[in-house]
Amino acid sequence: MTTLITKTITKICLPLVILFSISLLLAGHNNPGGGFIGGVMFASIISLVYVVFGLRYTTAFFNPDWSRWLASGLALASVTAFAAIPAGHNFFRSAVEFIHLPVIGEIELVSAALFDVGVYFVVIGTLLFILKNVGEDT
Amino acid sequence: MDSSTIVMLAIFIPFIFAFLVPVASKLLKQRIGWFAVAIALLTLFLILKITPIIVHGDTIYGEIVWLPTAGLTFNVYADGLSVLIGLLASGIGVIIMTYSNGYMSTKEDLPRYYQYLLLFMGSMIGMVFSANTIQLFIFWELTSFTSFMLIGYWNDKPESIYGATKALVLTAIGGLVMLAGFLLLQVITGTFDIPTILHDESMIQAIHGHELFLITLVLIFIGAAAKSAQGPFYIWLPNAMEAPTPVSAFLHSATMVKAGIYLVARIHPLFAGTDAWFILVSGTGMITMVVAGFLAFRQTDIKAILAYSTISQLAYIMTMYGYTTYHEPGIGVAAATFHLVNHATFKASLFLVAGIVAHEAATRDIRKLGGLRKEMPLTFIIACIGAFAMAGLPPFNGFLSKEMFYESSLEMGVALGSPFTLLIPAIAVMGGVLTFAYSIKFIDGIFFGRRQTRGLPEHIHDPPAVMLIPAAFLAALVILFGLFPSIPVHAVVEPTTAGIIREDVELHIKMWHGFTTPLMMTIITFMIGLGVYTKYGAIAAWQDRFNLRYPKISVNYYYDLLVQNAQASARTISSITQPGTVKTYMSALILTVVVLVGIPIILLGADIIPQSLNFDIAVYEVLIMLFMVIAGIAAALLPAYLPAIIALSALGYLVSLLFIYLKAPDLALTQILVETLSTIIFLLVIVKMPQKFRESIPTTTLVRDLIIAGAVASTVFIILINATQGIIPPFESLSHYFIENSITLAGGRNVVNVIIVDFRGYDTLGEISVLCVAAFGVYNLIHSRGNKT
Repeated sequence: MTTLITKTITKICLPLVILFSISLLLAGHNNPGGGFIGGVMFASIISLVYVVFGLRYTTAFFNPDWSRWLASGLALASVTAFAAIPAGHNFFRSAVEFIHLPVIGEIELVSAALFDVGVYFVVIGTLLFILKNVGEDT
Repeated sequence: MDSSTIVMLAIFIPFIFAFLVPVASKLLKQRIGWFAVAIALLTLFLILKITPIIVHGDTIYGEIVWLPTAGLTFNVYADGLSVLIGLLASGIGVIIMTYSNGYMSTKEDLPRYYQYLLLFMGSMIGMVFSANTIQLFIFWELTSFTSFMLIGYWNDKPESIYGATKALVLTAIGGLVMLAGFLLLQVITGTFDIPTILHDESMIQAIHGHELFLITLVLIFIGAAAKSAQGPFYIWLPNAMEAPTPVSAFLHSATMVKAGIYLVARIHPLFAGTDAWFILVSGTGMITMVVAGFLAFRQTDIKAILAYSTISQLAYIMTMYGYTTYHEPGIGVAAATFHLVNHATFKASLFLVAGIVAHEAATRDIRKLGGLRKEMPLTFIIACIGAFAMAGLPPFNGFLSKEMFYESSLEMGVALGSPFTLLIPAIAVMGGVLTFAYSIKFIDGIFFGRRQTRGLPEHIHDPPAVMLIPAAFLAALVILFGLFPSIPVHAVVEPTTAGIIREDVELHIKMWHGFTTPLMMTIITFMIGLGVYTKYGAIAAWQDRFNLRYPKISVNYYYDLLVQNAQASARTISSITQPGTVKTYMSALILTVVVLVGIPIILLGADIIPQSLNFDIAVYEVLIMLFMVIAGIAAALLPAYLPAIIALSALGYLVSLLFIYLKAPDLALTQILVETLSTIIFLLVIVKMPQKFRESIPTTTLVRDLIIAGAVASTVFIILINATQGIIPPFESLSHYFIENSITLAGGRNVVNVIIVDFRGYDTLGEISVLCVAAFGVYNLIHSRGNKT
C-alpha cells in the first residue's frame, strides 16, 4: 500500500478532506451533510493516514487522545440539549437566530448546529478510538 | 432571592460541589474534608434562611419546568416537616464531616468518601423538599445508593460488601414497593403532587373511602419500614455498621433512617385516623421497639449496641406517629417529632463516642474494653450525657420526649379502652426498660469495671479536638434542649406538628410537671431497668439456648437463603441466555425482528408480490443489482477471509452506487465512508482471527442457518416491496410532517439532518451515548484479554 503515490496523494488529500468534512458539518442544516457524515469523513482521512504511513510512525508526531474527543463531544451535545431549560424552554428546544455580517451576508445561527458539532466529535472520537486500539493490538 | 430558589439551591449545591470534589482535592490534598464542611455549612445556612418563614406558619412552593408537554416539572415544597429533616441532614452533616477530618486516615481515598457524603446529603435534602411523589422516589433511591457506596467504602472487606448489598437489596426493594404505592395513590387522587393532596380535604376524604385505601397504605408503609429498619427489615442496619463510624452516625442513626419516619409523617394526614394506620404503624413500631431493644441489650460490639438501639428508638417514633383514633388522629405526633430531634442529637453523639473509643482503643468489643473513664475523662462525660439522655434521665432532652411518649401511650390506651388501657403503656414501659438497660451497659462496659491490659494499647487518651468538639457540641445540644425545650419546640416541632395535624399547636414542655402517671412510669422503668441489667448473665444464657434450639427463628436466616438461591438461579438463567457466542446473539436478534415485523405484515394482509407492482426499472439498475447478487454470493462462498471481505465491501460500494442513481447523495456519501471504515477495521481484526475459515459445518447447522437467512431475506423483501408501493394500509407516511415543518419549526432545509439534530434530537443524544459506550466496550475487550494471546 505504501507506495510513493499513495503517500503523496494522502498528503495532498489530508487538508482538503478535513476542510471538506468541516464544510459538510457546517452545511448540514440546509444542504447534504451534517455532523455524522462530517465526522465519518474526518475519521476516514485520518485512518487513511494511519494505514498509509503506519500507526507507529504517525503517532510519533500526531497522537491525540481520541477518547477525549468523544467525551467532549458528548458533553457539548448534552449541554446544548439541557441549555434550553434555564432559558425557560423545553428540554432540547432549539433557538434560531439570523444575524447580518458585513461581507458574508446573512447567516443563520441555530443552536441545533452546536448539537451537531457534538455529534461530529463523538463520531470522530469513537471511530478513531476503536480503530487505533484495534490497530495497536497487533 | 426568592425563597423557593433558596430551597432549590440547597438541593443542588451539594450535588454540584460533590462532582467538584476530585478537582478540589488536587489543590487541597488531605484537607479536602474542610471543603466538604464548607459546602455543608453553606447548605445549612440556606435552609436556616428559609426557617423563619416556616416558623411563621407559611409554606414554600416553587417549580422548574422540565418537560411541560409531558407534564414533568421539578418542584419543591417546604413545610415544618421538610425543614426539620433538612436541618438535621445539613446540620449533622457539618458535624460529621468535621469529625471525619480526625477520624479518617489520610491514607484513605478521601475524595471518594467526601463525594459520597455530599451526594448523600444532597439526596436527603432533595427528598424532603420534593413536592411530587416521583421526584421523592428518585431522591429516596439516591439515598439508598449513596448509603450502599458508603457502607461498602472499604471495598476490600467481605463484611462491608455483604452489609452494603444487604442494605441496598432491602431498602431498594422497599423503595420499589413504595413506588407502587405512590402509583396507586395517583390512581385514587389523580395527581402526583404532594401539596395538592395535603391541602385538599376532599381528596383526603376520597382516600379514606376508596377501596384501594388499605393496599396503598401497606405498600407505602413497606417502603418506609424498609428504610427505617422497622419490622423484619431491621436486619440490614446492624450489618451496615461496617461503614466508617462517622457514616454510621450520619446515615444510619441521624438522617437516612429518618427518611422512613419522614415518609410516615408525610402521609400521616392522608391515612391517620383509621384502625389500619394504628395497627400497621404502631403495631410494627411496638414489636420492633421491644425486639430490637432486647437485641441491643445483648450485643457486645459497642457499635452493634447503638445500631440495635437506633432501630428500637426509631420504633418509638414510629409507634407515636401511629397513635391515632378517629376523633383525634394525631395523639402522638408532637411527641414523635420532638423525640426525632432529640434522638438525632444524642444518638449521633454516642456514635461519635463509639468512633473515638474504637479509634483510640483499637477495639469495639465491650468485653475487652473497661475502666477508661480516668484515661478519657472528656469522652466519658460526653458519653454519659448521650447515654443518660437515651435512657431518659433528667435533665436531658431524652427524658422530656420519653415522658411525652408515656403520656401519649396512656392517652392512646384510654382512648382504645380495655384491655389496651394497660397493655399499651405496659409495652411502652418495656421498651423504656430495655433502653435503660442497654444505655447503662454502654457506659458501664466502656468506662467502668476493670481496665484490661491484654489486647488494648498501653496509653489511651482523649482524641484530638477535631473529633472531640463535634461530639461535645452534640452533647451540649442534648443539655440545651433538655433545659430549654422551647428552643427546638418553637423552631421546628410546633410548625412540623401543625403541618401534620393541620391545626395550630402550642406545646408547653417542662422538666417538672408534677407527680404524674408518666413520672411514675419513668421511676418504674428505672427500677426494673437496673434489675434487668444486673440479671444480664441469666438473660444472655437463656437467649443463647433459645438461638441454639431454634436457628430458623431469624430473619437473617431467610434473607441469606433467599439471596443465595437468587444467585444460583441467576447463574442458571444467564448460562442459557448468555452463552457467549456471537452467532447465537445475532440469530436471536434477527429472528425477533422477523417475528415482530413479519407477523403484523401477514396480519395486515400484504401481498407477497403486489398486483400493482411497477416494473419500470432502468437497465443500469438491473446491472448494478446483478453485480450485487454476485458479490453477495461470493462473500458467502469464497474460501478465505480476505477475498470474502473484499467481496462484502464491493457489495457495499455497489449499494452506494445505486444510491447515486436514485438521487440520494447523503446516503451514497454515508454508505461509501462507512463501508471504507468498516473494511479497514475488518481487515485489522481478521489478522487476529484463527485462520481456519471453513471448517466442516454439520448439515443441521447449515440448514438452520439457511432457514434463518431465508426468513430474514423474505421478510425484508416483503416489507420493502409493500412499503415502496405504499400499500401497507393503516400507516400514513411520517415524512410529510417533517418535510412540511422542517423550516418553520427547526429552521433548516436538510430534512434528514433536521430530524437527526432537532425533531429526534433526544434519540440522537441516546445514540451518541451508545457510541461512546461501544467505544469503551471495544477498548475493554481488547485490553482485558491480558497477554494470553
